[in-house]
Amino acid sequence: MAFLLHCPNCGSRGPYEFKFGGECKSAPEPGSDLKSWCDYLYFNENMSGFQEEWWFHVMGCGDWIKIRRNTVTHEIAGK
Amino acid sequence: MLMANRILQYKKPEKSYEVIVVGGGLHGLATAYNLARYHGVKRIAVLERRYIGSGGSGRNTEMVRANKRAHETLPFYKESLEMWDGLSAELDWNLMVQKKGLIALAHSEGEVDSMRMQGDMQRRAGIKIDMLSPQEIKKMVPALDTSDRTALPIVGAQFHPEGGTVHHDAALWGYAKAAGRLGVDICAGVEVTGFSIDGGKVRGVKTNVGDISAGKVHVAVGGYSSEIARMLGVKFPVVTIPMQVMTTDLMAPFLDYYVASPRLHWYTQQTLKGDLILGGQLDPWQSWNSYNTWEECSERVASILEYFPDLAHARVVRSWSGLCDCTGDSAPVMGPSGIDNLSLDIAWGYYGFKATPASGKYSAEYIVTGKVPEKIKYFGLDRFFNRSRVREIII
Repeated sequence: MAFLLHCPNCGSRGPYEFKFGGECKSAPEPGSDLKSWCDYLYFNENMSGFQEEWWFHVMGCGDWIKIRRNTVTHEIAGK
Repeated sequence: MLMANRILQYKKPEKSYEVIVVGGGLHGLATAYNLARYHGVKRIAVLERRYIGSGGSGRNTEMVRANKRAHETLPFYKESLEMWDGLSAELDWNLMVQKKGLIALAHSEGEVDSMRMQGDMQRRAGIKIDMLSPQEIKKMVPALDTSDRTALPIVGAQFHPEGGTVHHDAALWGYAKAAGRLGVDICAGVEVTGFSIDGGKVRGVKTNVGDISAGKVHVAVGGYSSEIARMLGVKFPVVTIPMQVMTTDLMAPFLDYYVASPRLHWYTQQTLKGDLILGGQLDPWQSWNSYNTWEECSERVASILEYFPDLAHARVVRSWSGLCDCTGDSAPVMGPSGIDNLSLDIAWGYYGFKATPASGKYSAEYIVTGKVPEKIKYFGLDRFFNRSRVREIII
């Protein structure tokens, strides 16, 4: 197992129970130009270190949760 | 081995170069080699922060093929596949190119249809592609269970006779040695920490051993491209995901072809040495850690055993993983970066190894001429903004 994720509803679980949802980004305002939307859709910070990201507990409670994870060491912040 | 035989000596970087290539992997070395050999560029440095080939170049599954789908990419991959043939002679180093043929299994009528459609695209680009029936597959790969006892019985396959394998370390040494002979400075242990940019133009790089000025800088850093993006204050359209690979212990030759199941996400081949290379699906999440997990190993092995039941005695003896910087459209980013004199050769995902010869050739051409060559014109970063993403499917 690569690491454990802490689900606020279910406790510590293996990451294979989750669906990874990518890094947290904020969507452009409605009416923004195409460039902002393309930037939002396709471009990523792709952080090597701590980043806030979405995980969907598909085999558990079925909630989307935000987790701060170090993508290099797999350390979870605020465990 | 490199140092023992004195076929390559790492150099200390000098203060100034015509071209600096960031990244001492296959793409970087191939670009440096092409610059020196075909464009007469004299002062070239390849800067590598660890040792050459420490990233994806030495961690892939050695597969070379051109059975992609998008018409934008097919001529490029075809040329790259053909270039491997002449490289051993050109680099004066045996790359162990073995075009054994690639069999991609289909487990449903829908997949057969999709392969037929892909096959038509590939044939139009001049790539040899055939469809196989289960009986033909059984004749070619007797160890494969083509019966209907398997979970998803094999109903056909696509055969790509020109696909095969190249020894990745041999390719790396070949390029490094040839580039070194042409006077390219290959500097290991030199980590680029930033870029000197002045008036929208790159003037050089900052490293752990001091600043180096350069006329042009080329970025070929494999899975680590987003670290370069942060130095430049931009973002790239990639997510870094590891791919895990395993090998078994040695066994007598029984598998003549590269066999893959795109549906079940596995492929396997028997190397000249006798071990099986087992791969490979991208991990389900982003990570910059080259780790291996029991889950991935067991899932891949269980699926392969279903179709090769005789392998029950085989043992997995070694595993590794490499980082893939994947774009959403399974095509790389090559050419202009938006900053003058700084060119890109990134976002190669898990299909960078086979593209090495052509990407080296066209990256060098772009660096020297400043014009995007015809064969890589669809790979620009601007495609993400003007609705011209490459229509590739994941294969």
